Amino acid sequence: MNPMAQAALWFWLPAALVPLGVWISLSSKTSSGTNFGRFLAGVGMLGIVTSPWTVPESPSSAAGHLLGFILGPAALLLSGVYLIAFSGHVPVGRLPRSDRRLGVMAFVIGFVWFIGMHWWNLTPALEGQVNRYWLVFWPTFLLLLTCLLSGAALSLRVIGDRRATESNVMWFASGFVLLLILLAMMVDGRHVDADTFRYHLWLAGADLLGTAVGLSISILVFGLIIFLHERSLPEPKSIAPPTDKEFAHVASIVAANLGGGENE
Amino acid sequence: MNEDRLVFTWRAMLLAFLLPLVLLWAMDLTMGGSLGAGKDSLPRFGNAILTSYTLGSLVLLGNLFFYADSRQRPFAPLFGMLSAAIMGVVVTVLLLNQGSLLMEDNGSIRAQIFYNIVHMLVSAGAILLALALSLGFTFSTITAQKPRRTVFEEE
Repeated sequence: MNPMAQAALWFWLPAALVPLGVWISLSSKTSSGTNFGRFLAGVGMLGIVTSPWTVPESPSSAAGHLLGFILGPAALLLSGVYLIAFSGHVPVGRLPRSDRRLGVMAFVIGFVWFIGMHWWNLTPALEGQVNRYWLVFWPTFLLLLTCLLSGAALSLRVIGDRRATESNVMWFASGFVLLLILLAMMVDGRHVDADTFRYHLWLAGADLLGTAVGLSISILVFGLIIFLHERSLPEPKSIAPPTDKEFAHVASIVAANLGGGENE
Repeated sequence: MNEDRLVFTWRAMLLAFLLPLVLLWAMDLTMGGSLGAGKDSLPRFGNAILTSYTLGSLVLLGNLFFYADSRQRPFAPLFGMLSAAIMGVVVTVLLLNQGSLLMEDNGSIRAQIFYNIVHMLVSAGAILLALALSLGFTFSTITAQKPRRTVFEEE
């Protein structure tokens, strides 16, 4: 089998199974269909993660390698935030108070793990070289996170009612992530130096801006197509007005359901 | 909330969103600026636009199936969206053919296209994780506060 066919079979096919599985899972009206969709997406994820072993010569398998590296800390971060949020003052589905400590611990471990991937020996590396997609993922993640936290902080203050305390916490979080970026711009890691990080940080900025523009254009085109199609549809046919017999029938139904008798 | 106030709120939120970026830019300039990233940012920006447009169109094409369910399955919008997605692919290939305009460190147009797709998937992962974390963090800070008591005045 030639290298292209191998990459198609062991990387691109599993990569296509993930959105297909998610689509089936979301659109299915039966539980078996939903489960089948989830199964397909899971198989796809497994195929991508194992691609560094199944098609090691394909450059795309570096993305599978990165996915394998970030699954652990990302899962810890997300589960940590989930546990912290739902062990707080929520009206329904509140988790036990002890889950809060567990959530904080998971969040801190996840974040330290990510930081260790930048400054310590945990950097995803393939054949002695830093995985090229790690230099895409990490700056994009940090840059967007600090911007989103900053935007959320001001939203809480401006839109929310008496949310100054929460807003301050969000400013602090945004400032902390900003500080991390500044440190990464000045302090070399074991495998990624400060100049490399700064170079990729601005590429990440260009990437985020380009993605926002491209997605906006596709949404505009989508809206335009729907608008043109709806406008081209003929007017619905008018139907004849109700006859006296139909009016009488409606009146009898209304009369039977109106008013209150002595029983009420 | 009146309209002027609403416009101000949106502008302020956009500025707050961009504030860290401006701070980082200022810091980077004081450190001498990132040489090289400037000229390489343009191909990355162009590739990101084309790839996100094409992939976004394909996702929205899938979304049209739900729309078709409620409209007796019309063929025209599906064809229109498919054409829009194909146009994205054609424009990408045409622009990649124009020498080094959009080519990054990849040997061929096919390699650049595959790299763009994988790059977009990795970026999308980073974007989704950042979105989920910021939403979760906002929700966590709200639920961490003591429940409020609203005192109603007697009528």
